[in-house]
Amino acid sequence: MNDVAKQTDGRNQPTLPIYLDYQATTPTDPRVVAAMLPYFTEKFGNPHSTSHSHGREAAAAVEAARHQVARLIGADEREIVFTSGATESNNLAIKGALRFKGETRRRVVTYVTEHKCVLESARRLGEEGVEVVLLPVSPDGLVDLDLLARTLDERPTTLVSVMAANNEIGVVQPLAEIGALCRARGVLFHSDAAQAVGKVPIDVEAMKIDLLSISGHKIYGPKGIGALYLRRRPRVRLEPLFDGGAQERGIRSGTLAPPLCVALGEACAIAGAEMAAEAARLRQLRDRFYRGLTRAVPEVVLNGDPEHRLPGNLNIGFPGIDGQALLAELPELSLSLGSACTSAAVEPSYVLKALGLPDALANGSIRIGLGRFTSEADVDFAVDRLTSAVRRLRGAAPSA
Amino acid sequence: MPKITFIKTDGTRVDIDAPTGLSVLEIAHRNNIDLEGACEGSLACSTCHVVVDPEWYEILPGAKEDEEDMLDLAFGLTHTSRLGCQIIVTEELDGLIVSLPPGTRNMMQDK
Repeated sequence: MNDVAKQTDGRNQPTLPIYLDYQATTPTDPRVVAAMLPYFTEKFGNPHSTSHSHGREAAAAVEAARHQVARLIGADEREIVFTSGATESNNLAIKGALRFKGETRRRVVTYVTEHKCVLESARRLGEEGVEVVLLPVSPDGLVDLDLLARTLDERPTTLVSVMAANNEIGVVQPLAEIGALCRARGVLFHSDAAQAVGKVPIDVEAMKIDLLSISGHKIYGPKGIGALYLRRRPRVRLEPLFDGGAQERGIRSGTLAPPLCVALGEACAIAGAEMAAEAARLRQLRDRFYRGLTRAVPEVVLNGDPEHRLPGNLNIGFPGIDGQALLAELPELSLSLGSACTSAAVEPSYVLKALGLPDALANGSIRIGLGRFTSEADVDFAVDRLTSAVRRLRGAAPSA
Repeated sequence: MPKITFIKTDGTRVDIDAPTGLSVLEIAHRNNIDLEGACEGSLACSTCHVVVDPEWYEILPGAKEDEEDMLDLAFGLTHTSRLGCQIIVTEELDGLIVSLPPGTRNMMQDK
């Protein structure tokens, strides 16, 4: 009998604390771990050593993984560059594309709700003389296509960067429409798809995406691996961030980590095979969560568009309640206020503020991320604890 | 006959008669311009990499995928880079300006 079964006497009860932060990271799928393990030990070769079978064995595994990643997004394997994660992919795509262009068409358009690594890359380019345009989003968190078109028509632009799905509010952007706008104007389209790949269908051809960032640990792969999709037709060129042995067609020097590449490939293959069923299951769990909550407590605000959002994401505000205080009441639930990258800061989420939420509501919002290993029992338990905590805090508040 | 201008790495300009139908690589070789061309125009290397003047770059017919594959490996690639062996002189290219890049990457010699 395993530990979990002992704790619960075999009954269908959740293991505590319950993990509800799948937008921060995901556990590595045991099938992924099984696939990657041999590449640490018996199949340890350097994939760039071509003079012996150890190297060629590792190289073959890396190329098979590259094919698996490409398949998930409708790309050719030669268009996939392995990186250390989405932060590196975003830096490489945005800085690389603008720096390669040299002195011409130096303009980048992106959004205030983007991930920090996109905003900071853009800010860095601003210091290098690039014109950086930060557009607002609609109150539902979505891109205003008319505003984007008008902005692109003002002046020639090198690159537009829009995240596929937001890491806090989970809204999924209209990528195909944005891609069409960009392509018609000869503007490169980059999408940070760390949260979206493997969760919602992505097709780089149909969506006319030129550059796309992928993260391993958001899709049940390990941390420390990611990829960048780099279009070949028409060829998109980048100035590399690293100098070195010209691995990855010179775009990303440095010895690849075969166990991690294999893991990302396997994670992508599983996501591709199970996406539809998993999305349906998560949508059901998410709706069960939201329904349970809204039935039990009055005044619950769902932040971000309810339809165009990740199957496993909720971002909920409780007017009159402080988010920090709420989390402190819930030691059995692993939840977060905003993104993991900024949750150490006390100021309200810049994403929620960009939706026009007042500080009080932005401060009283929590992010709930459900995923592959979330059960119905987990959801019911979490709703019960969350409901009691909200009632306690509201009861304690003066004249609430 | 069209003329083309080579700008050498030290900045000097050389104007040369360019018979139509010949490639920029062939014209360079006939005139002792130091453009490498290790594979002799068979699209197997990137050593005849030239940087085309931005205004002329727009006028050239686009690069085919095989040329792009080789350009991936070119040293000091720019957004107006082409392979000299793939630019064939026509009357429309009279006045073409190309610069020689500061270095090349020849796999046969570098390793």
